Amino acid sequence: MNPLENIKMAVKTLTANKLRSTLTVLGIVIGNASVVAMIGIGQGAQTFTQERVESLGANLLYVFMDGQGSEVGAGDPPQLLLSDAEAIAAQAPAVKLVSPMISASLTVNYQSRTTKATVQGITPDFLPVRNMQMTTGRFWDEVAQRQDATVVVLGAELSQKLFNRTNPIGQEIQIGDRSFQVIGVLQRKGAALGVNPDVNAFIPITTMANQLVGRSVPGGMSIDEIEISAKDQASIRAAAFQVTNILTRLRGKQDFLVVANKSVQDLLRQITEALSIMLAAIAGISLLVGGIGIMNIMLVSVTERTQEIGLRKAIGAPEQSILQQFLIEAVTLSIAGGIIGISIGVGSAVLVGVFTPLKPTVPFSAIVLATGVSGGIGLIFGVVPARQAAKLDPIVALRRA
Amino acid sequence: MANMMIRLEGISKVYGMGETLIHALSGVDLSIKQGEYCAIMGSSGSGKSTMMNLIGCLDRPTTGAYYLDDENVAELTNTALARIRNLKLGFVFQQFHLLPQLTALENVMLPMVYAHVPPAERLKRATAALVRVGLENRLQNKPTQLSGGQQQRVAIARSIVNQPLLLLADEPTGALDSHTTQEILDIFTELNRSGMTVVMVTHEADVARTTKRVIWFKDGQVLNPNLAPQELHQLERP
Ligand SMILES: Nc1ncnc2c1ncn2[C@@H]1O[C@H](COP(=O)(O)OP(=O)(O)OP(=O)(O)O)[C@@H](O)[C@H]1O
Ligand SMILES: [Mg+2]
Repeated sequence: MNPLENIKMAVKTLTANKLRSTLTVLGIVIGNASVVAMIGIGQGAQTFTQERVESLGANLLYVFMDGQGSEVGAGDPPQLLLSDAEAIAAQAPAVKLVSPMISASLTVNYQSRTTKATVQGITPDFLPVRNMQMTTGRFWDEVAQRQDATVVVLGAELSQKLFNRTNPIGQEIQIGDRSFQVIGVLQRKGAALGVNPDVNAFIPITTMANQLVGRSVPGGMSIDEIEISAKDQASIRAAAFQVTNILTRLRGKQDFLVVANKSVQDLLRQITEALSIMLAAIAGISLLVGGIGIMNIMLVSVTERTQEIGLRKAIGAPEQSILQQFLIEAVTLSIAGGIIGISIGVGSAVLVGVFTPLKPTVPFSAIVLATGVSGGIGLIFGVVPARQAAKLDPIVALRRA
Repeated sequence: MANMMIRLEGISKVYGMGETLIHALSGVDLSIKQGEYCAIMGSSGSGKSTMMNLIGCLDRPTTGAYYLDDENVAELTNTALARIRNLKLGFVFQQFHLLPQLTALENVMLPMVYAHVPPAERLKRATAALVRVGLENRLQNKPTQLSGGQQQRVAIARSIVNQPLLLLADEPTGALDSHTTQEILDIFTELNRSGMTVVMVTHEADVARTTKRVIWFKDGQVLNPNLAPQELHQLERP
């Protein structure tokens, strides 16, 4: 009996009892569907976070204080200074732009509308460092920056919240107890790494330090964070090295951290990768359970079909042929179940893509692998029933009426 | 002298082990020539089916030698025995044993599948076999759509489709009425006339009378190896 005929025979036998065949492969169907959906959604989540983090700026570096290094009870905790940022801009050749930053949560109100928002004191270099654009209005320039102008640029969502659809440009809003003039609105960007610039308000850093929050310390003006963009992708490492050197020399010790956005990206990739592998592995367990289901039903089927097996042996089927027949039935079942399951999995991944911002992708290799694994499971779990069938004594089998 | 189709020497078959041994056959010597038409008779439990299974290479004797067509089959592997069953032997059972999911034609083609006959020839030979048993109008019917007699005719067509030397039938008419019994016996007679050796187990004297030789079994032994069918009345109530 050649394999093709065996497959045809298997399909015939399996379709003769559609309900049972369907129930038999249910485990394999569910297993494949969940593995494929998990892989697809995992991939989607991975590209999503990668794109988000990348959108912050491909060559971005962050400098902030190393919280763990500060000794408890030793006076004021050490802080970054505006002069640190200026030194980096002046001395580090691998650095293109430097954006120092102060952040505080303050009440913002326009007429009767009041809200709490994160207000960030920044310089004009913030825009290119963060890779952001304006929708309407303008950003303040160096002159305004030096004059402690009371101007504000709003994130898109905050602007909407305060002004609804009316034009905010030229309007006065209150931040804390000061009055600011709205001069521009930023383009929508979306959240990344837990930070969403769309809901923030941005004012000149010196205005922030001098008028809203007291930031005078013995060395000058204290700031919360410095964001730096390196000249290009290749100089990220050099920039980090230079920044570390300059700051260590200025501050006398290394009480700060320099983190490249790239390494955050790498870390996140590793985490999402590990997560999706774990999810797929958990889903894979249901594949195993599916295999046991196939074995169980095949064993029942062998018992039910003893007469058929006996007859086939009586008319000349060798053990080999019976073994092959039942193995092929098991493999056909599990591959069919696998294909159905994969289709369902791909379908759900597509649905997730429609209803969430994730863009799930199922790699072709995963589909091939899932089909192969399903077939393998059928083969492995089909061996026991098939051997049992092949070893049946034809006389005993025929007598069982 | 015609070829010996079957030669059994000192055959015994013991079932079970330990204290509950059942001697289904004990010391049977028997020969059947090519072209013979025999009936095996005897009371229930006398070992007829056991004998048929041994002759049909479905089972192996506990002791003794069995030459089928001058070949010592006791020495063959399971796979070689399967091949002999496929090519040299044909089986007809009381319960027909057709596969329910297959049509009459597909059932008849089954032995040729295992004989690696090319599909086109399978169709030709299966059709011819079904025509020979008078079922040319039932080729595409499933077993459930056929009467008992028709099912048995499909089974006969299946048993002869690989042109066996020897046709074995264990109570082939046991499940049929007298009219269909006669139809089946006519087919056997016709097959024997065309040269096939036919051995059949039966309980009915009327059936045995259509054969040329009766072998009588009693308690696992051959009581009479060569009884003329006409003499049957003498032994009918032993
Ligand atoms: N597989 C087996 N295990 C144990 N004993 C068996 C087995 N097969 C047959 N026997 C016994 O062997 C003896 C012969 O059985 P066999 O089936 O050959 O009788 P038979 O002549 O065909 O009877 P019947 O006319 O009822 O079909 C019986 O006593 C039976 O119980
Ligand atoms: Mg019997």
